[in-house]
Amino acid sequence: MNLQNKKIIFFFFLSLFIYVVQAQIVTGNVTDENGIPLPGATVLVQGTNQGVSSDFDGNYSIEVSQGQSLEFSFVGYSSQIIQVGAASQINVQLLPDNKLEEVVVTALGIKRNTKAVGYSVTQVEGDEINTVKSTNAINALQGKIAGVQISGNATGAKGSTRVIIRGNSSLSGNNQPLYVVDGITINNSNLGSAGLWGGADAGDGISALNPDEVQSVSVLKGGAAAALYGSRASNGVILITTKSGIGSEGLGVELSSSIQFDDIKNDPYDPQTRYGQGRDYSTNSDNIDTYANWGIPLNGSSVEQWDGVARPYTYKGNNLNKFYETGRTFINTIALSNATDRSNMRLSFTNLQNSDIIPNSTLERNTLGLNANQEFGDFTATVNLKYINDDSVGAPRLSDSPGNANFGIRLFAPSIDVNDMLGAGGLGTNEDGTEFRTSDNTFSQNPWFAAYQFFDNSVKERFIGSAQIRWDITDYLYLTGRLGTDRFDYDRTSGTPYGTAYQPLGSMSEYKLTNIQSDGDLFLGTDNLTLIENISLTAFAGVGKNYQNSESVSANGGNFIVPFLYTVKNTENQSSGYGFSERKINSAYGSAELGYKNALFLTFTARNDWFSTLSLPNKTAPNNDLYTSASLSLVLSDLIIMPEAISFLKLRGGYSQVAGGANDPYALNLSYGIYGQGHQGASLGNISNGSIPNPNITPFEKNETEVGFDLRVLNNRASIDFTYYSNETNGDIVGVSASRTSGYSSALENLGVISNKGIELLLNVRPLEHNDFSWDFTFNYSNNTSKIVSTNDAGTNITLDEPRSRNLNVTHIVGEQYGALYGTSYNRDAQGRIIHDIDPDGTPIPQVGDRKILGFGVSPISIGFTNSFRYKNYNLSFLIEGKSGGQIYSGTNALAKYFGAHKATIDADGRENGFTVSGVDANGTPFNTTIAPDRIEDYWRQTYGIAEEAIYDSNYLRIRQFSIGYQFPSELLYGSFIQNASLSLIGRNLFFLHNSVENVDPESGYNVNNSQGLEWFGLPVPRSVGLNVNLKF
Amino acid sequence: MMKKIISTISIVCLLLTSCEFDKGFEELNVNPTKASQLDVNNKFASVFLRTSGGRYENWRASLIYSSTIVQHISSTATYWTGNFYTRNNDYATSLFDRAYPEQVKEIEDILYQLNEEGNTGTAMGVARIWRVFIYHRLTDLYGDIPYSEAGKGFIENILKPKYDAQKDIYADMLAELEAATGQLGADTLGNSDLIFQGDVGKWKKFANSMMLRLAMRLTKVDPAAAQSWATKAINAGTMTSNDDICFIQHTAGPEGVNKNGHGEVFTADGNPRLAKTFVNFLKDDPRLPILGARRSDGSTNPEDLIGLPSGLTTGALEEKYGTVSDDYAEPNRKVITGEDTPMVFQTFAEVAFLKAEAAVRGWITGNAKEHYEEGVKAAMQMLSMLYPNAAAISDEEVAAYLSAKPYQEDKAMQMIHEQYWAATFLNEYEAFANWRRTGYPELEPFGGEGVYNGNVTQGTIPRRMIYPNSESSTNPESFAEAIARQGPNEFTTRVWWDK
Repeated sequence: MNLQNKKIIFFFFLSLFIYVVQAQIVTGNVTDENGIPLPGATVLVQGTNQGVSSDFDGNYSIEVSQGQSLEFSFVGYSSQIIQVGAASQINVQLLPDNKLEEVVVTALGIKRNTKAVGYSVTQVEGDEINTVKSTNAINALQGKIAGVQISGNATGAKGSTRVIIRGNSSLSGNNQPLYVVDGITINNSNLGSAGLWGGADAGDGISALNPDEVQSVSVLKGGAAAALYGSRASNGVILITTKSGIGSEGLGVELSSSIQFDDIKNDPYDPQTRYGQGRDYSTNSDNIDTYANWGIPLNGSSVEQWDGVARPYTYKGNNLNKFYETGRTFINTIALSNATDRSNMRLSFTNLQNSDIIPNSTLERNTLGLNANQEFGDFTATVNLKYINDDSVGAPRLSDSPGNANFGIRLFAPSIDVNDMLGAGGLGTNEDGTEFRTSDNTFSQNPWFAAYQFFDNSVKERFIGSAQIRWDITDYLYLTGRLGTDRFDYDRTSGTPYGTAYQPLGSMSEYKLTNIQSDGDLFLGTDNLTLIENISLTAFAGVGKNYQNSESVSANGGNFIVPFLYTVKNTENQSSGYGFSERKINSAYGSAELGYKNALFLTFTARNDWFSTLSLPNKTAPNNDLYTSASLSLVLSDLIIMPEAISFLKLRGGYSQVAGGANDPYALNLSYGIYGQGHQGASLGNISNGSIPNPNITPFEKNETEVGFDLRVLNNRASIDFTYYSNETNGDIVGVSASRTSGYSSALENLGVISNKGIELLLNVRPLEHNDFSWDFTFNYSNNTSKIVSTNDAGTNITLDEPRSRNLNVTHIVGEQYGALYGTSYNRDAQGRIIHDIDPDGTPIPQVGDRKILGFGVSPISIGFTNSFRYKNYNLSFLIEGKSGGQIYSGTNALAKYFGAHKATIDADGRENGFTVSGVDANGTPFNTTIAPDRIEDYWRQTYGIAEEAIYDSNYLRIRQFSIGYQFPSELLYGSFIQNASLSLIGRNLFFLHNSVENVDPESGYNVNNSQGLEWFGLPVPRSVGLNVNLKF
Repeated sequence: MMKKIISTISIVCLLLTSCEFDKGFEELNVNPTKASQLDVNNKFASVFLRTSGGRYENWRASLIYSSTIVQHISSTATYWTGNFYTRNNDYATSLFDRAYPEQVKEIEDILYQLNEEGNTGTAMGVARIWRVFIYHRLTDLYGDIPYSEAGKGFIENILKPKYDAQKDIYADMLAELEAATGQLGADTLGNSDLIFQGDVGKWKKFANSMMLRLAMRLTKVDPAAAQSWATKAINAGTMTSNDDICFIQHTAGPEGVNKNGHGEVFTADGNPRLAKTFVNFLKDDPRLPILGARRSDGSTNPEDLIGLPSGLTTGALEEKYGTVSDDYAEPNRKVITGEDTPMVFQTFAEVAFLKAEAAVRGWITGNAKEHYEEGVKAAMQMLSMLYPNAAAISDEEVAAYLSAKPYQEDKAMQMIHEQYWAATFLNEYEAFANWRRTGYPELEPFGGEGVYNGNVTQGTIPRRMIYPNSESSTNPESFAEAIARQGPNEFTTRVWWDK
C-alpha cells in the first residue's frame, strides 16, 4: 500500500471520527434472500449524499437522525427504504430484482457481485446438489456447469469422480481442481484405484462432502480466478460454502430424508443367448472353461458342466439380474440452527447408509457439522467444524479378473447359471470353505466367492476444521487471520481369502494412513474504498502457508496358518511397510480491484509461491515462482444507453499466470532404500526411484486468456453468457517415457507444453411465465480442444496406462489431443482392406498391424439441458446430459468377442453355416470366405490382440436427473408447528437417449487418473429412483 | 485509531517483506526414510535374488513358453501358450519386461558405484561376471538387445538405448568374462555372496564355465571362435564337481523376493504336467520318481507316471486318448516345486556335457565318454543335494543306468545333449537355448500330436521370444534397426547364433 492510499484512509478515518462525535448511530446487517451477508451494499440517508457500504459480513453502521429514511441498495437487488424510528438496529434482507443477477463467492471466500468479476465463475446453489443426491455429492453437478467435465465411472457407489475444468492442463500430474470448503483447502487424493492388474477404488476426498450441508458451490474456472490460491489451483477451484445459521429466526429445526434405489436396468449389456458353453462348435471345452461361448445351438440335451453335474443345454437367463442386487441409499439429516443479532450457529448431523448393487458392499457415513459465528466488538470469529466417519465394507475389485466378480458374470456362456455356482459351502465355496472354482484359469474367480469371501474394508475418520478471526480496524480496513486443517485417519483391511484358486493359502494387508493438511492465512484488506470520486478500491494482501504431511504403516501377511482366521499374525510370511512424506508451500499474495462508476472494474493479482518439493542444496534453478493476473469487467449497459430490449450487457476479459505441478517431494535426486527382510543374513538394497530424477525441476506455468460477455434481454427473460478461453501450460513436469531397457520407466523433465482452447456457453430462458405456471430452461455447452504441443526435445511420446490386454496405451503424442488411445490396429492394404493370413484349411486370420491412434479418451464436447416447470405448488425438472467426440477402449467387448459372448461373433443366419469374412490375403488377393463353424473362434480370438476392434465412440445423451416435487402450501401448514414441507420423487441415470458404445455404459472407466478412455469389467452404472422429504420446524 | 491502522499495516508489511519464505525447505525435502548411497554388498544380495526372478517372468517366459517349447512341461490349459505355439505378448516379453528395470538397472548401478570407488578387486570381478550372466539369458531368448547402453538411464541419461547385434554382445561378454576372472582376488563379498558364500575360487570356475557355455553357443555360426573360447575356458578351469554348481538358495518367505519364482508358480497353478516327451525319456531313469508324481494321487511309482502329450486341449485329449489331465504326472510337489527350493543357474553336469562335446569335436584331449558319464552321474546325484526331499541316487544306480543305456560314439551329440536337456529341467532358458543350438533332443512340433489350430508359427517350434510392443513407441529407431537386422519380431525368427 503506497503513501497516497494511506493518506486516503487517514482522511476517511478522520471524517468518520468527526461524524461519530456529532451524531447517533444506527447499525445493522444487510443480507440476501438466503440470509447470506451482502458486503458492499450501499446504505444511503435518503435525500442526502451521506452513505456507507456494508462490510465483508454485511454489517453497516451509519449516522442518521430519527425520522430520516435509509435506502438500502445492492446491484441486482431491489432497493428498500426504511424509516428510522427509535431502534438503533435495523437488519435488512434484500430480495433479488431478478434472479439472474448473482453474487458469487470468489477467491479466499470473498463475495463479489458478478458485475465486478472479470472472469467466468459459475455458482450452483445447494438445492442443485441435495435434491437428487449421489453418494459422491460432486456427481450431482454433472452437466450443470459449462466447462466443467465430471466423469462418472464404473467403480461402485463408494467410487471416485474425475473433475476437469477447461481441459487437462498437465500431461502426467494432477489435473483435478482444488477443493476449498469454508475457506480451507481439503485433500482430494484418491486412496487407491484399479489399474491394469485389478484393484479397487478406495474413494477420494471430496466424496465425504455431505450434500445436505451445502449452501452453494462456486466454480472458479479460469486462472484469473484461481491465481490467488496459487499453484494448487492451476486446475481451477471449487469453492464450497456450507450452511450457516444466518437467517434462522430463533431456533430452527430442519429434517430431510431421502431414500434411493439403484438397479441395473440401464445396463446395456446384450450378449448372445443362442450358443452354449463349448469349443470348436461342440459342447466340449477346456476343463471348466465356462466363458467359452463357442458351443453348438442350445438344444436342451444334457451336458456335463464345470462341476461335473449334467444340466440341460439351454439358456439359463440373464446372469447379471441374478447376481446384482437392488442398491439402497438412505440419507437422513437433522439440523439445528439459531441466529441472534451478533451470532449464529448451525449444527447438523447426517447419516448415510448405502448398500451397493454388487453383493456384500456397503457404506455407512456419519457427518457432524458445526458452523458458528460470533461478533465481539470489532472482531468477528467464525468456526467451521466437520467430523466425517466413513465405514466401508467390501470395496469391489475391478479391471483384471482376480477377485473381480464383474468379470465372470458378463462372460459365462448362456448355458451357465450363476445360481448353480453357490457351492456346497455356500456363497461360492466348497464344503471346506475353499473357492468353488468355475473357471479353468485360477486367476478368474467364482463371482460369489469374489463378492463374499474377498475382503476389503475400511474406516476413514476425517476432521476438517477452520477458525477465522476478522478484525474490522475501520469501516474500510480489516485484518483476517485464518487457520484450518484437514486431517484424516484411514484404516484399511484387505485380503485374498484362504482357499482362493490362485493363492490357496491366502494373504492380507492392514494399512493405516494419516494425512494432515494445514493452511494458515493472514491478510489485510479494504472493501469498496472510494479513492476519489467514481473510483473505488477493493484490495487485500497477505501471506499464506500450506503444510502437508502423510504417514502410513502397513502390515502384510501371506499364507494363513489357521484357515479362515484373518489376522496378519496368523500368517507364515509377514512383512511391514512405512511411508512418509512432507511438503510445504509458502506464499505471499495480493489483489487490487479498481472500480469506475461501479461499472468498469480492473483487477490485478500477484502471488509468489515457494515450494519445498523443488528445494535442494546448491540448486541453481528456482524453487519459487511469481505469477500475476489482470482482468477487466465492463458493464456496458450501465455506461451507455442500450436498446430497450437489452437489460444488461457486460464484457469481460483477463489474462493470468499460475504455477503448479511440483507435487512430489524427494523427486530431485536418486535415493536408495533397504527393502524386504534380508535373505540368509544379507540385507537387500537398491535404487528407490522408478523415474530418472532431475535436480533442476522448476514449477510449470500455465497462462490463460479469457474473454466473454453476459447479455440479458427482454427484461431478463433470456440471457446468454459466453466465454472463450485459451490456455497453455509451459514447462510441465513430465515423466518422458524411457525405454524400459534404460532401467527406468520415465525421466522427469520440465518439457511438457499443452494447450487448451474452448468455448463455454450458457443460455437461460424463461419462455413461459404466469402466476401459476412457469417454464425455465437452461442449456449449457462447452467444447474444449486440447493439444499436446511438446513432450521433450525429441518429441517422444508420453505413455500412460494400458488395459489388461496390453495392446494399447493411453499416450500423449505431439500435435494430437490429450490422451490418445494408441494401440494395435488391423493391418490393412492401401485400399484399407484388412490383410489376413490364410490357414491351410482356408480360415482367414487377421494380421495384427502397427500401433496407431485409434481415438481419444477425453470427450471435448459436453452439454447439459435442464427444463424446469412449475405449476402452482408442483414442480418438475429434468436434466439431459451428454458428451461427444471421445472414444473408449472396451475390454468387456474385447473379451466378449474373444469368448464368443458378443453378438458380433454370429452372422445373421447364425453360426450353423459358418461366419463370412472378406478382406485380402497376404498377397493382396481379395477373398470372401465363410469360416467353418468350428474355426470361427480362431478368427475372433485373434481380434483380441487388435485393440482397434474394441474401440468405440463414447458419445451419449441421457436423462441424468429427474425430479417431481410438491411444496406444501403455507396455508395448509398454517397453525401447525411445521413451517415448510416439501416432497419430491427423484431419478438419476434414468435412460439413454443415445449410447454409441455396445454392451457397456460409456462412463465405465475403472479409475480417475489421467488415462481416461479405458474400460475393463467394472460395475454396471446404476439407475436410481427415490423419494425426498424436507421438513422445517 | 490511526495508530492502530499504521501499526497493523506495519506488522503486515513486515511479515510480507522480512519472511524468508523458503526457510528450512532444503532439509524438509530430504526423504527421512531413504539413503543417498548404500554399501555395495546390500546391492549384490538384491541383484542375485532379482536375477533368480519373481513369479511373473518365471511363470511366463520360463515355464509357459520355454519349458513347454522344449517339451519338459505340457498343459491342457490354453493359456499355457507355449504348448500351443500361440501368441501372448505379455508372456513372451516377460523376461525382457522385468530383467531391465530390475536386474540390469541394479547391476549397472553396482558397476557404476564400484567404478566411482575405484574398486578393481573381487567385487568388480563378480559384478562383471553377473552382468554377463544377466545379459546372456536376455540375448539368447530375444536376439539383438540393448546391451552397451542399457540400464544407464540415470548414470548417463540414456533413455533410448541402442540395440546391439548379438554378434557384438557375444564378443563383449566373452571378453568381459576373461577380464573379470582376472579381478577376482583375495577379498570376498562376505555374507551378501548368496551364490558362493564368499568362495572366490568357485566364482572363477563359474566364470570359466559360463565362458564355455557362451563359447559352445557359437558352434553353428562361428566354430573357430567357439573352439578358441571353449579351449580357453576349459584350460582356465571350469566346475569340477557338484559342489561348484551355481545356484541361489531360496526360502519360503517372508516376502516374495525370498521365494523361488518357479515355486510360487506351482503354488498358484495346478495345470502344468510333465510332458510326454520328457517322461518317455526318463523311462527306467532313477530321476523320474524324484521329478514326477501323478497329479490325481501323488503316486511316484514309475508305472503310474505318464507324460502329458503336448499341444492338446482338454477336449482334444479326451477325444484322442479318453483321459483327463489329472491322470498324468506333474512336477513332484513333495520334492521340486517348493518356494524354498534353489534356483539353478549352471550345473557341473552341463559343464561335463559341454566338455564331452568339445572332446567329440576334438577341441580338447580327453575322452568324450568319460565326460558324458561324469555328467550323467552329476545330473542324477545333484538332485538330492539341491532338493532335501529327493532320494539320493547311488553310484550303483548311476552305473546301472549307464550300462543299460551305454554311450554310443555314433550318436554322441544326440546322447550328450539329450542328457543336457534332462539336466536343465527347471533351468528352462538354458534348455531352450541349447536345444536350438544342437537340435537335440529331436523334438517334433506339438510332440507329434498334430497341429494346433490357431498357432502363430506355421506349425513349427518357436525359435525365440518376441520383443515388447512398447519398444516401438519408447525406443522406435533402435527397435526398428534391430528388427531390420535380425528379422521380423516373431517366434519363428532365429537369433544370430541359431542361423
